[in-house]
Amino acid sequence: MLRVGHYLNQFFAGVGAEEHANHPPEQREGAVGPGRALQALLKDEGRIVSTLICGDNFFNERPEPAHAAVRGWLEATRPDVVVAGPAFAAGRYGSACAQVCQLAAAAGVPAVTGMHPENPGLLLYPKAYVVPTGNSAAEMGRALGAMLPLVRKLGAGRVLGPASAEGYLPRGVRRPAMREATGADRAVSMLIAKLAGKPFQTEIPVDAYDAVPPAPPVLDLRGATIALVTSGAIVPRGNPDRFKRCSDTKWARYSLKGLEAMSAETFECVHGGFYNQMASDNPNLVLPLDVMRELEREGAFGRLVDFYCSTTGNDQRLLDCRRNGAEIAAALVTERADGVLLVCT
Amino acid sequence: MTVISALPPLAMQAGANRVVQGVKIEHVCGDPSLTPELDHRLRRRLVERSLEVLQTPVSGPTLFQSAGGA
Repeated sequence: MLRVGHYLNQFFAGVGAEEHANHPPEQREGAVGPGRALQALLKDEGRIVSTLICGDNFFNERPEPAHAAVRGWLEATRPDVVVAGPAFAAGRYGSACAQVCQLAAAAGVPAVTGMHPENPGLLLYPKAYVVPTGNSAAEMGRALGAMLPLVRKLGAGRVLGPASAEGYLPRGVRRPAMREATGADRAVSMLIAKLAGKPFQTEIPVDAYDAVPPAPPVLDLRGATIALVTSGAIVPRGNPDRFKRCSDTKWARYSLKGLEAMSAETFECVHGGFYNQMASDNPNLVLPLDVMRELEREGAFGRLVDFYCSTTGNDQRLLDCRRNGAEIAAALVTERADGVLLVCT
Repeated sequence: MTVISALPPLAMQAGANRVVQGVKIEHVCGDPSLTPELDHRLRRRLVERSLEVLQTPVSGPTLFQSAGGA
C-alpha cells in the first residue's frame, strides 16, 4: 500500500482564512480536508499517512523554518509520494506547493501538485509534476481525479511518459526515445500537413511572448541613474558562477566599482551562441563600460549603477527569462535606476 | 529600457519597446576590425543614441537606427 504525504495550506486544512495565514507548520496524522476525498479515491491502494499544514504567509515569508519543517516531515513520515494542494490559482499556496515538490524531489520522494496553468508558483520550480486545474476550489473533485493516476505511478516508482500523454503540464524535459520515422521524415510530413491546412502536432512548441507596455521616457537624463544589463554572458574571468554556454537558468550581478572600462584581464565572454573570442578580447564590445564612464564624467547622465547584471541569453527557457527579468528589474529598482541599457548578443 | 541588439526583429517580437540597431551579434557595441579609436567612436555614438532613445516616448516596439558607419 502506498504511503502518501499530503501538504495543505491553512485554508484547506480548515484552520482558517487570511487571519490564519501565519499559521506555523503543523503535522497531523492521516487525511485532512480535501485529503479525505483523495483517500476515498485511493481506496485500498494507498493511505494518507500524514498531512503537513502551513499558513501561506508563513511559508512564503519565512522559507527557512518552513523548508526545515517540510524536510523534517519527510524524514519522519517517509512517504512514497507527496501530494501538494491542489492550489488552483492561489499564488502563495501555489508557490508553497511548488517548493514542497522541490524539497520532496531533493529528498528523493516523487511529488505531484495541481495548479491553474497561470499560477505564478509554476515559475518557482518548473520541474514539478503539475496537473492543470481550474482556477477555484469548485474544481477540487476533478483536480484530485486528474492527479490520482500520477500519484499511483510516481508512488510506485514508475517513470512517467510525456506531459501530453500523462496529463501534467510540460516541464521542459526532453528524453531520448525511439520513433518510427526519422526527424527529416517527420518534419516533411508536418510541412505537407501544414501546407494542406491539415492538423499536425509540433514536436517543439514555441513559447508565446507577452505584449509589454512601454515604460515612460526618462525625462531628466542628466539626473538619471543608468544601469547596464546584458544577455551576452560577460562574466569575471574564470566564470565564478559557472554560467552555462547555453540553456542557463540564472543571472548574476558583478561589481563595476572603480572600473573605468571592461578588460580582457578581468572579464570574459562565455556565451555559446556566437563566436565569443572578440567579446572576450574586448568585453566593452558587449558591455560598453568605457564609453559609459566617459559620458558619466561628462555629465551626460547622472550616475552609473555600480554593478552590471548578466545572463546567458542562449536557448534560455521563457520561464527562466521571465524570472530572471523580474529579479533583475527588482535589483535595479532597489538601486533606484531610472533607465537601463540592455545589450543583447 | 533601451535594448541594443544586432537582431532587432527578435527583440521586438519578444516585446522590447525601444530597440537600437547594434553592429553585429559578436560585437553589438563596436567593431574590432576598426582601429581602436574608430571602434571607440562607433561605440560612443551607439551608446549616446541609446541614451537619447531612453528619453523618447514610444507606443509599442520601435526600432531606432544608430548614426551609421564609423
